Amino acid sequence: MRTLKVVTALAACAAALTGAASLRAQSPQQHGIAGFWSMAPGPTPPRRAATPTEAALIAQIREGAVLLADAGATEFPPGDYGGLNVRASLREAAKSYEPENQTDVSLTCRPPGVIYSMQGPFPIEIFEGRDLVVIKLEYFDLVRIIFMNETAHPDSWPHSQTGHSIGHWDGDTLIVDTAALLPGTLFNNGVEYTENVHLLERFRLADANTLIVTQQFEDAGSFEGSAARIMSFRRGNDHVYPYDCDPTYGLDIESRQGPGRE
Amino acid sequence: MILRFGLLGGLILGAGAALAHHSAPVFYKVDERITVSGTVTEFRFNNPHAILKFDVVAANGEKQQWTAETTSPSILRRRGWSQASFASGDKVKLEGMPSQDGSYLMRITRAFREDGTEIGIPAGTSN
Repeated sequence: MRTLKVVTALAACAAALTGAASLRAQSPQQHGIAGFWSMAPGPTPPRRAATPTEAALIAQIREGAVLLADAGATEFPPGDYGGLNVRASLREAAKSYEPENQTDVSLTCRPPGVIYSMQGPFPIEIFEGRDLVVIKLEYFDLVRIIFMNETAHPDSWPHSQTGHSIGHWDGDTLIVDTAALLPGTLFNNGVEYTENVHLLERFRLADANTLIVTQQFEDAGSFEGSAARIMSFRRGNDHVYPYDCDPTYGLDIESRQGPGRE
Repeated sequence: MILRFGLLGGLILGAGAALAHHSAPVFYKVDERITVSGTVTEFRFNNPHAILKFDVVAANGEKQQWTAETTSPSILRRRGWSQASFASGDKVKLEGMPSQDGSYLMRITRAFREDGTEIGIPAGTSN
């Protein structure tokens, strides 16, 4: 009986080891983009001149696209859409947008969509596998699955903040095509894109420690033509942390004391 | 004690995310700074923004209950902050943005202990 237990335990260990080895074998770091990336400090184009890698990626953005100057911590104030021709009805609706509602318990922990979240000041972590690329955002614990073994978006895929993404490598550039996004904020100032928005991203290393990412997105229901952003990430020796959002923080803001608050 | 001063530049603890989701300008005058000293009563180090509550005795003897908000703990954690950064009863001096409405609310940009030791690493120094 004792011999049987030992054999069983050894078999379990062997299976676990085999499984781990198999997992590693299926997840090679093929193109060097795997790892932890935090947004590089400072502005990105068009607020400064483009580096050679940035210029090469900008050249691949659809001609006539508006390159938005709000990547990173910068945000446009109310009524400023960075030169994008936003539909008149949405501009009008944005006038009644109340940003203080973002601290409401029902909205505080609702994540923005990936178009907004990817250009924010939070780190990302990329896992590169054979059939999948996974991007874990620290921001609101968002997880993006890029299907490298699919070539089309399913008609019935449920809309979400991360949508459905398919990807492929074009030389040293990862190209990711995303659809099925829920309506979400464009600029965090009251204008939203519709569920028909289409996002195209390019990821390319400028060097071993610098990752350049571009967004190009279209949504005829909310703005004319194409919009684009470019972000620069710096490699770090870290992992993204759990975000673990607390929806009640706004209650402390609401219950603040002081003149006029009693 | 409460001091007010204009923003002349320098390091801003929350600069990275001050303008992101849950926008600071909604509740705070982002181009102004105040310094407030008081005694901590509660600290919750949770995303999207930590909350520090503290009591202040004003120059006229009035006891004020203040609320201070930080940038994202995800960012602060990499600058050395944690839930253990403040305990009830700690004497602190806080620099930050005053509230838009004059209430006892501020957005912390830097924080110091009673002996002048800064809590965490300010933005822009090593990260």
